[in-house]
Amino acid sequence: MIEILGLPAASTFADDIDRVFTIIFVAVGFWFLLAEGVFFWLIFRFKKKDGVKAQYITGELKSEKRWITVPHNIILLFDIVIVVAAVQVWYDVKQDLPEEPDKQVVRVIAQQWAWTFVHPGPDGKLDTPDDIAKVNEMHVQADRLHHFQLESKDVIHSFSVPVFRLKQDVIPGRVITGWFTPTKTGTYDIQCTEICGVGHALMPAKIVIQTAAEHAEWVAKNSSVAVASAALR
Amino acid sequence: MHSHRSLVIAAACVALAAFVPRAALAADNPRGAELFELCTQCHGAAGEGNPMALAPSIAALPEWYVLNQLNHFRTGARGTHPEDVGGLRMYPMAMTLKTDEDTKAVAAYVAGLPPVRQTQTLSGGDPARGAQLYAVCTQCHGPNGAGNPAMQSPPIAGQADWYLLSSLQKFKAGTRGTYPNAAIMRGMAGTLPDEQAMKDVIAHILTLNANTAANAAQ
Ligand SMILES: [Cu+2]
Repeated sequence: MIEILGLPAASTFADDIDRVFTIIFVAVGFWFLLAEGVFFWLIFRFKKKDGVKAQYITGELKSEKRWITVPHNIILLFDIVIVVAAVQVWYDVKQDLPEEPDKQVVRVIAQQWAWTFVHPGPDGKLDTPDDIAKVNEMHVQADRLHHFQLESKDVIHSFSVPVFRLKQDVIPGRVITGWFTPTKTGTYDIQCTEICGVGHALMPAKIVIQTAAEHAEWVAKNSSVAVASAALR
Repeated sequence: MHSHRSLVIAAACVALAAFVPRAALAADNPRGAELFELCTQCHGAAGEGNPMALAPSIAALPEWYVLNQLNHFRTGARGTHPEDVGGLRMYPMAMTLKTDEDTKAVAAYVAGLPPVRQTQTLSGGDPARGAQLYAVCTQCHGPNGAGNPAMQSPPIAGQADWYLLSSLQKFKAGTRGTYPNAAIMRGMAGTLPDEQAMKDVIAHILTLNANTAANAAQ
């Protein structure tokens, strides 16, 4: 449903999140419209009439209480529906950390007011001289599992990639690990979704998702630069 | 009671002294004053700087220098290195300056702010050794640290010591920026072998601050 509104779904779990979103939207939307309908019907049905005195209702009669208890039970029922629909998705996205032999680990460092993305070089490992650090620019490969490690240099930020339907707080002093597997190539937005100071709105970044060949080319080109400038130090 | 009142009067005088020139400045340059509101978040209402925000004192810096640096930030020639934490804070702020006119206006406003005396935060520097090390600096920054617009070298006397240290470290590490003077300063900062040498030369620059203040008072 979110895709119809114009935001592509570009991760393996994006469709699952969208399904939960649709269930919540339809369930809440249906009962919202019905409740508003009943509300306005009552207002017009029992509006002020000449010669009819307003009645004071205490809401203690069983027939009156039903207006509360019946909708309340329906809400509880739908809560269960939503929880059941969401719990497996939550587990898959947030609690499970899939492992694959060719997974890529990218370090994501938030600060006021920029993102630094540290990508492994051709050796596929972080914390080696061929690492590629980029400000406000994350490079990943389509159809490959990525683990991200979130760190903050100052305050709480939130790492949000709308096309992945991914959002995770970044907490100073902690390394928070999560995962995604991109399914589409292209360049998309990364945003900070936790108010982090006066420049909060000014820390947008880009995620560039490429095919394996394009990504390898990018890594080769940029890691040689990284190695050369490290040698200058 | 009496000392209380004189304290209040003294505080009011200080506040007024800081406020009056700013009011006049704002009347001359309303656009600059408006844009400066954002700067105050980190650099303070008087442009006095705030080490907690990694924001140096900018009040009374020469207009050409502020303009140059703002343009470096705007083009990404400064403040885009992953290890330049303070610069990365300034870079998005400078990006809010959409036109050259706005950049000039805020630079003029900052340059017009009265200088703010900086408190010493570093210790352990040897000014005598620093005076010797300072010899290479004099070519561009002058014997009094007053700077030289012809060489695009800013005044360094009067700047906060913590900012001088972090700048020397960034120049030396090559994280300050990609603009030409940053490359020159990388070579110059490279003549300082370690942090102690940097502290020594800064201790010498602090004595220049005192001289500058004394000169101004006379
Ligand atoms: Cu943020």
